[in-house]
Amino acid sequence: MVDALPPPTPSQAPAAAVSAALTTTSVKVTSSFRGARIVLYGAVFDPAARPSDVVVIVRGPDAPLRIARKTKVAGIWVNSRPVVFEGAPGFYMTASTRPLDQIAGFGPLRRLGAGIDHLAINAPFEQRVETRYGVRDVVVSRLGADYLDWRRAVVRLKQNAGLYAADDRGVTFVDRGLFKAEIDLPTAAPIGVYTAEIILFQDGHPVSRRLRGLTVEKVGVERALYLFAHQRPWSYGLASVVIALAAGWAASVAFRRN
Amino acid sequence: MDLYLPIAEVSVNAPLLVALGAAVGFISGLFGIGGGFLMTPILVFLGIPPVVAVASEANHVAASSTSSVISYTRRKAVDFRMGGVLAAGGAVGSFLGVEVFRWLRLLGQADLVVSLSYLVFLGVIGALMLWESLGSILRRRRGGGAGPRRDRRPPWLYGLPLKMRFPRSRLYISVIPPVLLGVFVGVLSAIMGVGGGFILVPAMVYVLRMPAGVVVGTSLFQIIITTSLTSVLQAGRNQTVDVVLATLLLIGGVLGAQVGARASSRFRAEELRALLAIIVLAVGLRMGLGLFFTPDEPFVLMAGNG
Repeated sequence: MVDALPPPTPSQAPAAAVSAALTTTSVKVTSSFRGARIVLYGAVFDPAARPSDVVVIVRGPDAPLRIARKTKVAGIWVNSRPVVFEGAPGFYMTASTRPLDQIAGFGPLRRLGAGIDHLAINAPFEQRVETRYGVRDVVVSRLGADYLDWRRAVVRLKQNAGLYAADDRGVTFVDRGLFKAEIDLPTAAPIGVYTAEIILFQDGHPVSRRLRGLTVEKVGVERALYLFAHQRPWSYGLASVVIALAAGWAASVAFRRN
Repeated sequence: MDLYLPIAEVSVNAPLLVALGAAVGFISGLFGIGGGFLMTPILVFLGIPPVVAVASEANHVAASSTSSVISYTRRKAVDFRMGGVLAAGGAVGSFLGVEVFRWLRLLGQADLVVSLSYLVFLGVIGALMLWESLGSILRRRRGGGAGPRRDRRPPWLYGLPLKMRFPRSRLYISVIPPVLLGVFVGVLSAIMGVGGGFILVPAMVYVLRMPAGVVVGTSLFQIIITTSLTSVLQAGRNQTVDVVLATLLLIGGVLGAQVGARASSRFRAEELRALLAIIVLAVGLRMGLGLFFTPDEPFVLMAGNG
């Protein structure tokens, strides 16, 4: 789990390290589920006490998604052909001590995939490789110049659904070297395995990194019904119809007696 | 009290849904319709994914229709033979409809087709029904007779082959028109999440020329069969029936339907029809007119697998 990146500039003081733990490692989705708050505590160990920034990235399970653009055809607004985007996590939230672009430059953030702008979301089925102006292997998207509009729309719609967010005051130091982060999962948060990545930045470079796992799972009745619906769909359908017809019949009998 | 729905994967206010189920059930009992055309848009508006709303609503319609059809059976106001012929068509229709709906979801055009269907069918039927019922209310106010009798039955209804006797409806007609009507309503039932009573009732009166007394009961009987089948097919093929959502709705629905059926005897038939016409028209316009306005957000997200 420990993945300490070497500091880019060798210094005399020993390397700084970060350590962190989640207060809960599994979120249980029951019938009263209305979202959950994930609390993370961690510590920065640095004998030299250099200025440190902490970034926490919580990622939900990846799921391909489709997005369509509305266009006006003969006076009415019609969806275009849907475009499949891959690499978009079902949930993505960053919390940090300062805005990400103040903590590190474009390069380190892009390499770590840290921040919504640096997510590797793309539309693989729209891409083809061709030779242009004598340059081989140029990746061209069929979406053309609008490609960025599409990608921005994916992020915007996820943000509106509360599934993507960046909280640039989300990590706070509660004591010397001890920090705390809170991340809110909305009700719409997808089920699955999540990762929480804790990165320590010093002087604009990632110095130390920790990875923690988190599962969001349905339990009890919710889980039983979900499994029933997906593993034995025909029996589930028959059972739901029997409930409906029986309820209708029962109501009519009950009212006749009155 | 909020409740998390296992299939829809959203949290809803349970008492609100029971109350809505009761209100729509009341309307359903009052007018002798399933009420799906009202409930499905409300569910979508509350944030239930449209595919789940359509599939679970079929279940709710089956329940409230069962609740009201039993009292019609006691009054001998159900033509089971006609209902069976319609339902045979309905079975084919719901099978086709579930497949068409799957295909439309893959194309990303399900929303468009649902909105257009609401606009066209509810708009046209609401307008025709309003026109007809206002006409008969005005005739009554003027104190005129019963108005022109519409006994002229269209010759094509009698010219077609495969004739069958329907003693309770006092008809001897070809089975082709009712089967086709059933297919059409079955397709709509799967695509729009409705029972199709708002189409069946006028079609039985004006196309099949059935006596008014058996129309509502027969329509409800056919709706139960079609929506039950749609519900099983949606669950089996698409896994989109949320049994918790359906149960919340039908608790209110079956009770509301009973109260509504009792209340219906206090109103005149044409006044009820005018009221229903206004509701149908309003829902159709509300659902359909959105297609003509520039959307605030030009992009829409869909699930990855269609």
